[in-house]
Amino acid sequence: MVMVCYQCGCHLSEQDYCTSCGADVSLYKKILSLSNFYYNEGLEKARVRDLTGAIECLEQSLKYFSRNVEARNLLGLVYYEIGECTEAMSEWILSMNVEPKKNIASDYMQRIQNNPTRYDAMQQSMKKFNQALEYCRQGSKDLAVIQLKKVLSLSPRFVKAHLLLALLHIDNEDWEKARRELNKALSVDRGNTQALRYLSEVEKMLTPDDIERNEKRRKKEDSVRYQSDNELIIQPGNLVEGTRSGFSMVLNIVIGMILGAAVMYFLVFPSNQKITQEEANKNVQSISEQLDSKTNQIQQLQNQITTLENAKQQLESELDAYEGTQGRLKEMDQLFVAASVYLETKDVNQTAQKLDQVRENVKLEEQSEEFLSLYQTLLGLVGPELSKSYREQGYVSLRAEDYDAAIESFTKAVYYDSNNAEALLNLGDAYRLKDDSVNAIAAYNKLVELFPDTDYALKAGNWLGRLDGMED
Amino acid sequence: MPGAEFDWEYEMINFEEELKKFQPSTEVDDIKEDIYNRSATDVAGVFEQMFAKKEETVEEE
Repeated sequence: MVMVCYQCGCHLSEQDYCTSCGADVSLYKKILSLSNFYYNEGLEKARVRDLTGAIECLEQSLKYFSRNVEARNLLGLVYYEIGECTEAMSEWILSMNVEPKKNIASDYMQRIQNNPTRYDAMQQSMKKFNQALEYCRQGSKDLAVIQLKKVLSLSPRFVKAHLLLALLHIDNEDWEKARRELNKALSVDRGNTQALRYLSEVEKMLTPDDIERNEKRRKKEDSVRYQSDNELIIQPGNLVEGTRSGFSMVLNIVIGMILGAAVMYFLVFPSNQKITQEEANKNVQSISEQLDSKTNQIQQLQNQITTLENAKQQLESELDAYEGTQGRLKEMDQLFVAASVYLETKDVNQTAQKLDQVRENVKLEEQSEEFLSLYQTLLGLVGPELSKSYREQGYVSLRAEDYDAAIESFTKAVYYDSNNAEALLNLGDAYRLKDDSVNAIAAYNKLVELFPDTDYALKAGNWLGRLDGMED
Repeated sequence: MPGAEFDWEYEMINFEEELKKFQPSTEVDDIKEDIYNRSATDVAGVFEQMFAKKEETVEEE
């Protein structure tokens, strides 16, 4: 390190004052010498890979003189070597700030920046290490181990990661793995006191002198461990076979059998019975559900049968009405026969006979509109002529003093032609001559009412006066 | 102590205690902040300040 005057910046000589400005630099030179001394110490330690020691010396050097560029650059290099890349970069940046020109730190920085893969690996390893540390603090040690292995695949010389992984292996009592990690850490940093301390503990666990000591611990954990080549064998303590006498072995077997039988009797059999009973209950429940379902189905079917029977009865009654001797089909047939007779023969008497049969057998008030329409049409076609015929028959019977026959004929005449006033008058006459004054008055009154201003009405009025006088 | 039983648990590494010694690494993104937070004070700097004050006192006198 070149010493310069703190006042004028000139190079200092062997004198205790500045040869340029005359400032007293004796103490200042001592300070710089101390800084230089620690730098040299650090350099020596770094050369023998005591990197922890080197870091301590170089930091000390920088405490004396922070502008010691060589010390800072070396400190950065040592940090870089142990995987502390960000620390290294910080040192180099500070160094470049002190000495911007002809500084190897700028070369280091350039190399890092020119290798993006390495730069990215550095970033990732830092993040993953911090994540692993967080996992450790949260108690997720398995995850931490996985994460640390990733870190070390990215940065194999990351001493802090080796140490943490070793600590996790120690905690897991995986001594061999811990030793392997510690050796890796020490191969990078030979003077790492933390690694050395861990290793001494691990070695104690693995050296034969400590078997007895380990036994105490193993007994506590009820397990047996022994070293076989590079593997640590862990065997549960309850599998260790001691020297037992034949009697105790037989006794133990007998006790075991009794216990086994007891377990079978008290636990297994009731359990099986319970299982069987549960299965039976399930079957019963299933059958019961099926039975309920069938019962519901039967009930539904019975309801359907009842409904269908009712419908059947209704249909049968309707069918009887249509098909019976008194049924509507018969009635229709009779009316069709009457219509057919009239259309084919134009014979009024035959048609009248058929219409009479219809009138006798059919309740007209219960018939359909179409039936009545056809009936009235036929009646209108044959009625007047038929009425005239019946009136003539009645008149013959009246002349023969056969009043009953006359009344019957006149009634039909009036029926077939309600406008036949003469027939109505003759009907009243027939009743009157038969001395049936009640029906006679009824017939005359009807005539007076229906045909008021006719000669028939006048005659009927006369007879009404006489009959009233006779009754009085 | 002679004859006393060796305290094995005391001798063992305590994971929790050791874990406290591990500090998170500074990430690359935080490097700027890390540099700013560093103390730049050194012995030489203190000396320079002392000398500067002394010079000022002499000039005033």
